[in-house]
Amino acid sequence: MNVNTRGHARVRGVSKPIVPPTELFLPDLCGIRAVFAVVMIGELLVFVLTLARMGFSPQALDDLALLSLYVQLIGLSAAAALCISRRWLNQLPEPAIPILSYGLVLLVATLVCELAWRVVAPSVDSATIGLGHGDFALRSLAISAIVAALVLRYFYVQFHGKQRTESEARARIEALQARIRPHFFFNCMNTIASLTRSDPARAERAVEDLADLFRASLNDAAALVTLAEEIELARRYLNIEALRLGPRLVTRWALDALPQSTPIPRLTLQPLLENAIYHGIEPAPAGGEIVLMGTLRGGQVEIEIVNPIDHTAAQHRGNRLAQDNVRQRLAAHFGTRGRLIVNAATTEYRVLISIPHVYP
Amino acid sequence: MSARLIIADDEPLARARLRAQILELGVGDVVGEAASGIDAVMLAETMQPDVILLDIRMPGMDGLEAARHLCRLPQAPAIIFTTAYNEHALAAFETHAVDYLLKPIRSERLQTALTRAVLLTTAQRRTAPTISGGKRRHFSALIKGSLRLVEVDEVRYLQADQGYVTVKHSAGELLIEDSLRALEEEFVDEFLRIHRNTLVARAHIVALERDSLGNGAVVLRDMAEKLPVSRRLLSAVRRRLRDGSSTKG
Repeated sequence: MNVNTRGHARVRGVSKPIVPPTELFLPDLCGIRAVFAVVMIGELLVFVLTLARMGFSPQALDDLALLSLYVQLIGLSAAAALCISRRWLNQLPEPAIPILSYGLVLLVATLVCELAWRVVAPSVDSATIGLGHGDFALRSLAISAIVAALVLRYFYVQFHGKQRTESEARARIEALQARIRPHFFFNCMNTIASLTRSDPARAERAVEDLADLFRASLNDAAALVTLAEEIELARRYLNIEALRLGPRLVTRWALDALPQSTPIPRLTLQPLLENAIYHGIEPAPAGGEIVLMGTLRGGQVEIEIVNPIDHTAAQHRGNRLAQDNVRQRLAAHFGTRGRLIVNAATTEYRVLISIPHVYP
Repeated sequence: MSARLIIADDEPLARARLRAQILELGVGDVVGEAASGIDAVMLAETMQPDVILLDIRMPGMDGLEAARHLCRLPQAPAIIFTTAYNEHALAAFETHAVDYLLKPIRSERLQTALTRAVLLTTAQRRTAPTISGGKRRHFSALIKGSLRLVEVDEVRYLQADQGYVTVKHSAGELLIEDSLRALEEEFVDEFLRIHRNTLVARAHIVALERDSLGNGAVVLRDMAEKLPVSRRLLSAVRRRLRDGSSTKG
């Protein structure tokens, strides 16, 4: 397990390590299973070569034995070399690992080839082998190069596959965590308890808004809804916050210009608004204004959420979890056309989301 | 005799509910309400309540810090923390004479807490300062019976002298009882040790000067007086100032 220094992030005041990708490009080639796999691959290669050259003739068996010895020597030496240098190789930047690994394997193949020639050639005359030194080396190296490329390519595909599975699993966990802040939930319950006495009608509406919000958060976060629905949910969320914060929260909406049927992942706006309140409004004794501005530009629907930064408040933290989650979901749906851009000035914090007007 | 209570919470509806509950229970009179920690401290000083219901998460000064200042009052109120979610490792408070309640608060639970709080003596009420709640944003001291608060941001330097620490700020000075070592740890990002007995506010440092003899001195904003930097710390101070300015861009 490698130690990842950037694996820690402050998450909503609670320090939780974000699981780093533990998968390494090069698997452990010293393990019994890996050695077995190398031997198997080598043996299959020998079978193919012998079969192609000599078919099922009786001489083929002799040839098979000698070739096996030679190929296994190359395969196991290369595996040993990678095994020894694995720790060092895996620390390198990712693009360099396959290239250097490949180079190392070819180097080992060349060395074994030379060694074999020196040991075998003096005792056997070149007519028996049927080819000269240069030819032998060239063939060995070419075959090694092709097989090594295939095996390394296999590692590469497997590595990226595992990496993607891990990041998807991580995104799901983060999505679950990002859904509702316990602090918000319990304060909300308290607000409703208070309103039940003083203003039952508003308490009723608050319960309805909270129910909608919960329903949305329990639904599949990968689903697309219309912009109109997402805005409605954002309004319900801000209604609840307005009850809690009273006059400290001012919201300004300028989203009317946007095409209301634009598809957008469910719960895109709400987590960003929650951040805006948690970091921009709640810590400020006098509160502040949250602005939602929408523009349609070059086929992209852009929504910007602006909140003030309170300098007397404790440092900004925990923003990133929700942002990363939204960013990932936008990218999953819209590729490079789904973006989230953060712009933190000294007095204002701006988050811009940009999605295509028409689903690509 | 009925207990005098103050409710401190930034949410108006949360205050309203507590007030209604207290009224129903008949356990005391609400003599004031505050919407932030600093308001709570100032209100408590003038009203001298027996008990204060203190929300932990409040803007400006939070409840944990307010509690530390409240304990300096000659008539320190008993503190009952209220919070929506025990994200502050509240289990730590259980060992102290302070109660805490989770919102929405049940009336029975409120009654038990208030009954117990009213019975506490002033000395027992003062046990709260041992709370290891994060970083303060204010220093406080009692001067001639009244509580003085100074914002940490306003402080230029802290100087230790015979068991006290002088807090030099933009509008004067204050004597506090903390140890310089503890202050250095608490404000490791804000204050820089330049001498055995001096911590200076990094944000107010204008320049680091050296005279012909190689002695270093720190120049602070709006202060004619230069503070000597000890020889031993000179290179460390210079390094930290340089690092600090580069990270701030």
